[in-house]
Amino acid sequence: MADFDAQIRKSQEEVAKAQARISAVTARVEAARAKALAGEPEIDIENATLDDVRQHADLMNANIAELIMGLDDVTAGFSRDFDEMRSKTGWESFVGVFSRGKSESMRQERLRTASIDDKLQDLIAKSDVIVRLLQGQLDLLNDQKTRVEANLGDTLVERETTVAALESVRAEIAGMDPKIIELENRISVEQDAAARTRLETELAELNTRHNALVQDEQVKLAKSQTLERYIEKGKTWVDSLQNQAATQMVLINKLQTDTRQRVVLYDALTKSLKTAQQQDVAHRINEIGVKTDQEAQAAMAAIGTATNQRMAEMMEAHEDQMVFARKVLEQKAKADERFARRFAAIVEKHDKNLYGRE
Amino acid sequence: MAETDLASDHLELYDNAVARRYFAKFDRIAPPLARVAAELETEGRLTRAELRILGGYLEGLAHSFRALSLKYLLTGRAEALLPNRLTIDRHESGFPVYQELLLMANDAQHALRNLQGMPSEAELKDRMIRQIVGELSVPTRLQFALSQRLYAEALIQGDLFWAQNDPEILWLREEAGRRIWLLSWAVYDSQINLPVVWLMEVADSGRVALAKDERRWPRVRAHLMAQSLAGLKLLTVATGFDTDFDDLHPLRLRRLHLGPMYSASFTLQSGPIGEVLAEARAPEGQDWALVWTIEDLEASGTTRAKSGWFGSVERQVYALDPFLGRGAETGATRTDRYVILPERPYQVLAERNPPGFRDVRKFVVGAGGRVISAR
Repeated sequence: MADFDAQIRKSQEEVAKAQARISAVTARVEAARAKALAGEPEIDIENATLDDVRQHADLMNANIAELIMGLDDVTAGFSRDFDEMRSKTGWESFVGVFSRGKSESMRQERLRTASIDDKLQDLIAKSDVIVRLLQGQLDLLNDQKTRVEANLGDTLVERETTVAALESVRAEIAGMDPKIIELENRISVEQDAAARTRLETELAELNTRHNALVQDEQVKLAKSQTLERYIEKGKTWVDSLQNQAATQMVLINKLQTDTRQRVVLYDALTKSLKTAQQQDVAHRINEIGVKTDQEAQAAMAAIGTATNQRMAEMMEAHEDQMVFARKVLEQKAKADERFARRFAAIVEKHDKNLYGRE
Repeated sequence: MAETDLASDHLELYDNAVARRYFAKFDRIAPPLARVAAELETEGRLTRAELRILGGYLEGLAHSFRALSLKYLLTGRAEALLPNRLTIDRHESGFPVYQELLLMANDAQHALRNLQGMPSEAELKDRMIRQIVGELSVPTRLQFALSQRLYAEALIQGDLFWAQNDPEILWLREEAGRRIWLLSWAVYDSQINLPVVWLMEVADSGRVALAKDERRWPRVRAHLMAQSLAGLKLLTVATGFDTDFDDLHPLRLRRLHLGPMYSASFTLQSGPIGEVLAEARAPEGQDWALVWTIEDLEASGTTRAKSGWFGSVERQVYALDPFLGRGAETGATRTDRYVILPERPYQVLAERNPPGFRDVRKFVVGAGGRVISAR
């Protein structure tokens, strides 16, 4: 299906772009941290950059969601197969006008060669391509998240030390004040010139130290504020990564449940249809041969009971399938709900068939 | 309040230890199977050629299981890296579900390309040691990478049992101017999730030998693959084939179901076998029972059927089970069931002697994979 391939390529491009952007933001976040630690002027991670990434991720996910829904079109071919198995083709109907037997045997022959195994394999392959795409994105997101989180953890420790240092500087400054006041008082009452000079030198030293500490306080305060801003940005980024990863997981889950359900249902439908349409015919054919046989009577009587038994078995077998189908349907409903919550807009567009007209 | 019964027959193995135990079980089951097949050959139940073919499929099956076990080696430990888990059918199968084999076929297509982009085994191990010694952490990511590398290598090595194993043809003999061929193919049946081997002896009255016939052989292959459903009776398949190919006459058709595998800890079963396994309380590795079913359909004669307005073609008439009623039900000439199980469950089975198992042949697997046949 050319459409599907084209769409896959488009999605791959989108994913590549999104990944480049995500990596770029992480790099910026890391650079910002390095600068903050070195006390150099900080790099600002504008909210606009984050928004841009988020917007792009949304676009990419919309593309992939569209792709998943596109699988519906791939599987639409299945129902055509079912119809063909049940009914006659145009040519067969035409032949039927002349010979009903010939027309029926043509249909039977077609039924015997019918197989959807290749289609199932194709469905699995397509769904796998999408899963790989999503998984790649999820891996990247998790990777980036761990990196940023690790950095963030280190930075938090860094900030704590900075704040602790700031506190101790402040405490030292506060501790110096009474000493300075005391020295000043002593200078004002000191009569001896030598002692006074000594006290004044002491005061000057103390003042120099005080000024140095105040300056240190400013630096530490600035650093702590920078780190705090960085932490805030980092946290936002981690949140955003987390959110994107959750979206990927919802998509993967939805896709896997869907594919499993499709394979099981289509497979069960085709094969039970095929079995039911052939089984009785085979017996009728063999009966013709057996009729010549002397033991025919017993076998004939047996077929009657066997058919009933067979029908009962078939009903039982279907019960199993029904239970399983119901379970899968419930899982699908759950996955659908999660999917719908995240992609309400796309689902709506898809349902109204608005895509491809823009 | 009665809740909706959600008991489904598909079971996902989430836990790492559980998944590994499951594969370990199959590792133990696989070797005695070849001996069981050889035993069937000495008894005359299988011909030499059939034994060879069956042996090939059994080997393929063991390889497939090994590949799957590598794929899911880190189940439960690397959740973020491997989104899917092994799913098995725990009702009347005990084997992985059909989709696992489709996924494996799909993985095989990418295997070669993936392998080229992967670091070598030695390099991965080297990095693991670095991480263990240097960072004092478990190298889950590297372990996962190595498991996937080994999986890809197993896929490339080939010789696996796929969801569909296309028919192969073997010349047997010449009889009354007709070539007799043995066709063999195998599928992993999607409805019952079991490996099924098909063998067909066919007389060929065509001008060109079937194996070299560019026109008939591809059609025959497609027809047989499309018809290999567990739900169809042998009679249905044989008569269908007979009808669609006028110059091919199926003389004998056999179908071997290589399962189900029962286990008290993995599968759900009702009836005697469930009680036997539960009562045996066998230690790890001895808690299983494998059932093989061999169905046979033989032609007893021929008849002429009208074809078109003037011609007529030969059609086979098949002998059905002579026991009243059962023949039409099974659509086969004879059906044999074999149960293969370790000593401990066998002991319980022999003591209880449940009615349904009296005429089932039993093969007991002893220490060292020795197989003893018991009545």
